[in-house]
Amino acid sequence: MTRTPLRPLARILQARARGENPDAIERENIRIRHERMRDRMRLRAESRLVVLALAFVMMFGAAGARMAVLASTEAEEPRAGGVGPAILATRADITDRNGRILATNLVTSSLYAQPPLMIDPERAARELAEIFPDLEEETLRKQFTGKRKFLWIKKKLSPEQQQGVHDIGEPGLLFGPREMRLYPNGRLAAHVLGGAGFGREGVHSAEVIGVAGIEKALDVQLRDPARGGTPLRLSLDLTVQAAARRVLEGGMKIMNAKGATAILMDVRTGELVSLVSLPDFDPNDRPVPLLKGDPSDSPLFNRAVQGRYELGSTFKIFAVAQALEEGIATPQTMVSTQGPLRWGKYRINDFHNFGKELSVTEVIVKSSNIGTARLAQQIGATRQRAFLDRLGLLQPVPVELVEAPAIHPLLPGNWSELSAMTISYGHGLSASPLHLAAAYAALVNGGTRVTPTLLHEAGRAVPGERVISAETSRVVRGMLRQVVQRGTASFAEVPGYAVGGKTGSADKPRPQGGYYEDKVIATFASVFPAHDPAYVLVVTLDEPNITALGETRRTAGWTAVPVSAEIIRRVAPLLDMRPEIEPGDGFGVRLTGN
Amino acid sequence: MSYLEYRVTTVPHGLRKVLHFNWGLLLLLAAVAGFGFLMLYSVSGGNIDRWSAPQMQRFGLGLVLMMIVAFVPIWFWRNMSVLAYGVSMLLLVLVEFMGATGMGATRWIDLGFMRLQPSELTKITLVMALAAYYDWLDIRKVSHPFQVLLPLILIALPMALVLRQPDLGTALLLAMGGGAVMWLAGVHWLYFAMVMLAGVGTVGAVMASRGTPWQLIKDYQFRRIDTFLDPSTDPLGAGYHITQSKIALGSGGWTGRGFMQGTQSRLNFLPEKHTDFIFTTLAEEFGFLGGISLLSLYALIILFCFASGLRNRDRFASLLTLGIASAFFLFFAVNMSMVMGLAPVVGVPLPLVSFGGSAMLVLMIAFGLVQSAHIHRPRQGGR
Repeated sequence: MTRTPLRPLARILQARARGENPDAIERENIRIRHERMRDRMRLRAESRLVVLALAFVMMFGAAGARMAVLASTEAEEPRAGGVGPAILATRADITDRNGRILATNLVTSSLYAQPPLMIDPERAARELAEIFPDLEEETLRKQFTGKRKFLWIKKKLSPEQQQGVHDIGEPGLLFGPREMRLYPNGRLAAHVLGGAGFGREGVHSAEVIGVAGIEKALDVQLRDPARGGTPLRLSLDLTVQAAARRVLEGGMKIMNAKGATAILMDVRTGELVSLVSLPDFDPNDRPVPLLKGDPSDSPLFNRAVQGRYELGSTFKIFAVAQALEEGIATPQTMVSTQGPLRWGKYRINDFHNFGKELSVTEVIVKSSNIGTARLAQQIGATRQRAFLDRLGLLQPVPVELVEAPAIHPLLPGNWSELSAMTISYGHGLSASPLHLAAAYAALVNGGTRVTPTLLHEAGRAVPGERVISAETSRVVRGMLRQVVQRGTASFAEVPGYAVGGKTGSADKPRPQGGYYEDKVIATFASVFPAHDPAYVLVVTLDEPNITALGETRRTAGWTAVPVSAEIIRRVAPLLDMRPEIEPGDGFGVRLTGN
Repeated sequence: MSYLEYRVTTVPHGLRKVLHFNWGLLLLLAAVAGFGFLMLYSVSGGNIDRWSAPQMQRFGLGLVLMMIVAFVPIWFWRNMSVLAYGVSMLLLVLVEFMGATGMGATRWIDLGFMRLQPSELTKITLVMALAAYYDWLDIRKVSHPFQVLLPLILIALPMALVLRQPDLGTALLLAMGGGAVMWLAGVHWLYFAMVMLAGVGTVGAVMASRGTPWQLIKDYQFRRIDTFLDPSTDPLGAGYHITQSKIALGSGGWTGRGFMQGTQSRLNFLPEKHTDFIFTTLAEEFGFLGGISLLSLYALIILFCFASGLRNRDRFASLLTLGIASAFFLFFAVNMSMVMGLAPVVGVPLPLVSFGGSAMLVLMIAFGLVQSAHIHRPRQGGR
């Protein structure tokens, strides 16, 4: 910028020449310069203001446009979500086969404290201790006045308790929503359901996870949000389960047993209609597992699935079925029962002396160890092992319980000929009652393998792998029927339901070796109706004893059998079975009408 | 031209000032405040005593203060600028030591009859101080780096004190208001460009650092940013206000649900319904039309100030008028952006409408200053 001088010499000289005051020129120039400067300022200020105004107009426009957009949209309710959808997803209900609730969810609250927010920690501690008698006022006071910023007080509250805490009016006591698992039927199907507990926990929600039974085995399925709340339908029938449990509990008391289990299974589909193990527990309030001692003494122990017992004479039917199937014997074949049967240093005896020989049918009806062992000798260890494997007795039962896969039957280390003989009458191989039920179902349903299941699935009725022929199955059923009609299980006769079955009383092994003289596992594996089997019922009593006819009785015929009969009597009508007159022929020799 | 350079005899004096008082501006202010009374009456569920009546009393008091301020010559206020700034700084420091605490922040001084919020006062005194500074400063030196430093300190001082309360919203308003005055005073645009670049660079660096080992802010702060960008991720938590006010605006539609018919705001969905989020009530009950009407009233107020400031040849008066107009614009622009989800939720009330004593009185005093500048503007032909 070229500066115009305030006193241009030429003009000053001219002015002097004219006799004017040259200072006027300077004043004039200063004035002009000021005005120019002011104009520049003005221009600059105006342009600055224009820029600012433009920014303002843009913001006005943005606000107006936004308002228009919002005004033209439909109001939309927000949806809670995004904060850990997996945690918020509801766990599916569990129902019985008829849709009756076995397990559901209840929304409740948890209680936590934030001591920094507290107004009167002393009072809060005092009043909380009044509401929850299990809390110590002194401990709470220390926690509330200490340095902690957060602490859980209760994981689940009842509505009354929550109201009580509300009434304290302490802002430092806060509630978080909790969804808890509820088993409305209490103990009824405790071992099947197992139970649930909290997994990851937050203030706003907690994960409910299965801790045992089917809740844990199918945990992922039950929690799957894609399930959309469809209940899990079990094969159990709530009424049947209730009746079976009640009878079994009574029977267990009468027989002075320390434990009992009953399994009722559909022989064709393998669906478990009832599964009871006693003693049991309330899944709403699971007891703590035993830390020492025998876990089988805990009520959490599921005898039907986890209990591995030598199941005694109930195994005899397997040897006989195999002998029939392989043509080694017919029901009329005579087998030597001359005792004792010596094998090395071992001697095999019968409970009674049955004389020189019995027919195969009589071996089952009278339950002869020697006769069965002789059949097993002829079958041989290898083939016996293969046969039992095909019945599913050598592998864990693939039932939908988390406990099941770990239960491998206890097999002899060396499956010798002697093992084959003892296993044939149920010693030397320990399996669970559920194994037995599945094997019996396969024998009587026409001869196809059965896989036990707890799920109600209509399409499950496809027959499994064939184990024995339909004809052998028919003969076996006839034999089982005769055991009830005139053999060791005569107490099992329930008029109109044609019960067949096989008893088994096995001495319990001592932990230090050998067997107890006075402790038995009494088992009755039954099928009804025998001529057209629908269900298998296995009842096992642990250490029963009852005084009858002046003697202490422990054998299954006196203990497990009458309990089974009572269960069938109660349960059969609930299963829509009408008492019927059984066909009189086709069951081989019938000696008495008793 | 400073007031020292014009003859004050050409300025109206005595009762003649009443003739030069801008009654149009007063009318606009009363109209905006009237919107506020209606809305407060509505959100209180038809209870006039709860919020409307106190608000009217404050507006009345504000009018009296405005008149007094308006009839005192502007050069007096110019001389008072530094003092006013000092007093407001003192009050801010006092808040630090003996302030009353409410809702997690310490912002008020309890005067007995009212709770004074010095940060509100600072918004105006800062503009005054900056205007006085640039009036005093030789216009050729405004962009000198050393001369830019002092106004920056003047802005940073109250900002720091306000941030300690903590009140991010007011701190940002102070920064932007002060920046506006500096801009209008003619500070070289490169300074502003630098600040903007630095801001954009900082934001860019912060966002780019996410998930890297040199992450600049905490994860939860990132989540807040996420919530601002998409409130639906946390509709019950940090996104609650925004979601609810969007619902209110949406349910209002074009013409609204009618006076006293708003459900969203009156059914206590919004905790700050009578203060920061009162615009939602307006939008719900009077719809797009009501919102645009309020926006237009605000625009007219600003337009008046701009016209007056532009014509005023006194540098202090001009800068003060334009600065107050800019600050006023920022108040409602930030509030509306926040309510409509265009900006993060920072606690900024809607000027003249939201319930709140300090803000109302301070704004009325500020418009008193605008009026004073208007009345006492230098006239042509006085020399």
